[in-house]
Amino acid sequence: METTTNTKQFTSLFDNKVLSRIERMRLNPTRRLTNRSRGEHVSGKGGSSTDFVDYRNYVAGDDVRNVDWNIFSRLHKPYLKLFSHEEEMHVVLLVDASSSMMFEGKLDRARQLAAALGIMGLMNIERVSAYSCNHVGAEPTVLSPCTGRASMKRLFDFLENIEGGGNFPIEEAVDAVLKRHRGRGIIVLLSDFLTLGDLHKPLNLLFSSGLEIFALQILSPVELYPEVTGDLRFVDSESGDTLDISSAGELLGIYHEHREALAEELSLMCRQRAGRFLSINSADSLEETLFDLLMRRGWVV
Amino acid sequence: MSFPSFFNLFGAWLFLLLIPLVVFYFLKLKRPRLEIPSLALWQQVIQDRRVNSPFQKFKRNVLLLLQILLLLFLVLAVMQPFIQSADDRADMLPVLIDCSASMGALDGPNGQTRLEAAKDEVRELIDNLLPTQRLSLISFNSTARRLTDFTGNKRVLHDALDKIEVTPVPSKVTDALRMAQALALSVKIETIVVLTDGNIPAQVDFELPFNVNYQRLDVGGANIGITALNARRAEAGVWDVFVRVEGTSAKRMAAKAELIQDGKPVGSEQVVLDSGESQRLVFQVESERPVELEVRLKPVGFDSLESDNVAYLDLPSPRPLVTHCPPSLASYRHALNAHKELVLYPNDDGTGALSPDQSADLLIADSVTAGAPQATISVYIGVVPEDLKTLVGVELGLAEVVDWKRSEPLLQHVQLADVQIGDVPKFGEDIGAAQFEQLGYEIVAHGRLGPLIVKKRIGQQQFFYLLFHTDRSTLPYRIGFPILVANAIQIALQQAELSEVRAQPTGLLPKKKYKEESEYRITGPGGSSHSGTTNADGLLTGIPAPQVGRYKIAEGSKQIDSIGVSLLSADETNLASVEKIQFKELSVAAAGDKIDSDWPLWSYIAAAALCLLLLEWWYFQRRPGGVPA
Repeated sequence: METTTNTKQFTSLFDNKVLSRIERMRLNPTRRLTNRSRGEHVSGKGGSSTDFVDYRNYVAGDDVRNVDWNIFSRLHKPYLKLFSHEEEMHVVLLVDASSSMMFEGKLDRARQLAAALGIMGLMNIERVSAYSCNHVGAEPTVLSPCTGRASMKRLFDFLENIEGGGNFPIEEAVDAVLKRHRGRGIIVLLSDFLTLGDLHKPLNLLFSSGLEIFALQILSPVELYPEVTGDLRFVDSESGDTLDISSAGELLGIYHEHREALAEELSLMCRQRAGRFLSINSADSLEETLFDLLMRRGWVV
Repeated sequence: MSFPSFFNLFGAWLFLLLIPLVVFYFLKLKRPRLEIPSLALWQQVIQDRRVNSPFQKFKRNVLLLLQILLLLFLVLAVMQPFIQSADDRADMLPVLIDCSASMGALDGPNGQTRLEAAKDEVRELIDNLLPTQRLSLISFNSTARRLTDFTGNKRVLHDALDKIEVTPVPSKVTDALRMAQALALSVKIETIVVLTDGNIPAQVDFELPFNVNYQRLDVGGANIGITALNARRAEAGVWDVFVRVEGTSAKRMAAKAELIQDGKPVGSEQVVLDSGESQRLVFQVESERPVELEVRLKPVGFDSLESDNVAYLDLPSPRPLVTHCPPSLASYRHALNAHKELVLYPNDDGTGALSPDQSADLLIADSVTAGAPQATISVYIGVVPEDLKTLVGVELGLAEVVDWKRSEPLLQHVQLADVQIGDVPKFGEDIGAAQFEQLGYEIVAHGRLGPLIVKKRIGQQQFFYLLFHTDRSTLPYRIGFPILVANAIQIALQQAELSEVRAQPTGLLPKKKYKEESEYRITGPGGSSHSGTTNADGLLTGIPAPQVGRYKIAEGSKQIDSIGVSLLSADETNLASVEKIQFKELSVAAAGDKIDSDWPLWSYIAAAALCLLLLEWWYFQRRPGGVPA
């Protein structure tokens, strides 16, 4: 008997096998930044679920329905029963789709990672929204908050349809997102963070907005290990600005010092705001990044 | 400090290439555009470098500067710069290189010979030749040899220089100077260079048509060697062998002298010489047959010259001197009979004469007869040679000796004053000593009107003619008469090598008498081989013997003789070095400095250009610091 396997790919971003592994994974935020709406994230506050958490003394004004009468009968003191409260966490995906991400699969890798992390949110009944930024002055493309497995298709469609190009710097993209976004949770920044602007302010805003920062710097091999010699005129892919370089080969050492310093500075800024930072190579495989690197770093479980 | 001159100044026109170089550089400076994701990092890099590198502007055009520098080096190399020597530059320069025995002296244990030191100097001279300069190499020892024509071909000069070897013969610079003089006839020669250790004659009979740059090398180290070797017959079958050993004046030296007879050591003596001393060693050798002697000197400690440590001597077999004197010369026969080492022919009664094909060592006769035997030494009494009869006539009368050559071996210790002579040899009209000399005669005793005794040498033969008959003189009654006869015997003994034998010095083999007009092969030490043909008299002459050792003479495949030759030169052994050479009109002192040749710089500049090229390649190809592997 002839058997045929007709495996239709659910998304073009990665194959179904990877998708099935992603569906079994969850985001692992360090802070419990949740919304009032119910969800699957246990909040620090008492709730009305059936899961008992703790007792506390009764104070005036407490709902007497929550008093544990059995204990009251034995101890003649009212104690309030506390139940766990599961709230919804908002997962914001911000994909930098400017021209600088158009090199050597950086944007593709950003799409894939955004999709993977978004699916983890959706599969855990979080609210997931996504933004992609292209041009300065233009509104970011938005995937409005959605939740549940049913929204996976919407998320994939949104990410697959992101078009690269533009000159939106990441710090302004963060500003643009915060103008529209409401809710606490985590924000995944997928960018190369190669910007001339100041990142302190946007990161402060994210922190104060109750969003835990997951910053993923995606760099291509040409940025990590440039092989340039002689006299060159560099052209910025976003602004079209030029920079004349003489004896470029001689400057590679200084270049690497600055690249590593930038990564270190970004990492420090994120840590100072209870966030996380990771720099990855776009040439590395998705599986390696997702199932090895991010898991080892505790970003996902 | 002397600034460099340029041999090819027209090469400076190539500096104009700087213009297209700079123009093309800036035309080419349109940088290739490279789109990169962001300038953010590179701008920081540039700012950082500007802060850290004060020579940023220089570095920006470092490629242009390197290219200009490279072009400058190349153009300078083409211009052929050179540091001019203090001396005037000579375009045609003969270089006379001494290769005599003393040039083989080492300057120390495991050191280099003087000839190698000379070669080093000449090599430097050759390497520094400018394109218009030509050298001609001439080596000299006892003779001179032109090794190259005037040439600037360094390979030819180096090859010729490498072929020069030390020849253990004394040095004479005259031949080399004459050769340079001959060269000066065809090309203009202003200066010649003489490279020697100074072990050359201090007096040179030569008129200098050019300047002489006398380059005296450092003398070799301490040396001891054999400077003379001869043997004298003591009695029948016994020879006294005399060896003179001399050393350099530098230090006290010691050696062991060993006498080897036919390959077997027969005696040895220790020699200790203080500085500047010589010592004579005497050995006694008994033999009734020909003997080959070898004296070998084994120095104690360092000895700079090896070729003078051995000497050879060939002793002939003892035999009586064969003398012919007719009975008519009774006085002479009487004097001859007093000597035991000779045998006198014919007998007193005229019988037992030598046959015409037999030769005598000494002939004393009062007439030239066709049947008389040939002799090495012939003394004719009262005979005027045929070729002198037009120059001198003999008249009756009374003559007396006016003067005589006292150094002449025949007349040594012979008092001729007051001898009364009954014949009067008389010059012909307008005849003088010059005419005699033209015919090969030497007047050894003069009378008032003409010569009394004349001498002629033909090959190894010597002829003495007493133009007066001694029977008509008072000479036989004088004490000088037996001395005269004894002198003739002594000359004959020496000529026949029966009384004294001297070791042969290097240079040429002594004349030897073999079969007439026959070819002989002479094999020298080291396997060198020559062939020679005897002349009509059977004399083998002109065979070179430049090396110390034994020369074997063979007729066909049969060895018939062996002749040992040795250095035997006191001048070469003591390594004396003359500070000044006295020529006919002027003296030339040794130059204080080494040969001051022009110093071409183009090769150094070309090498610098190559290094610069490599540096440029490395500079642009190296992996910059800080780049992760």
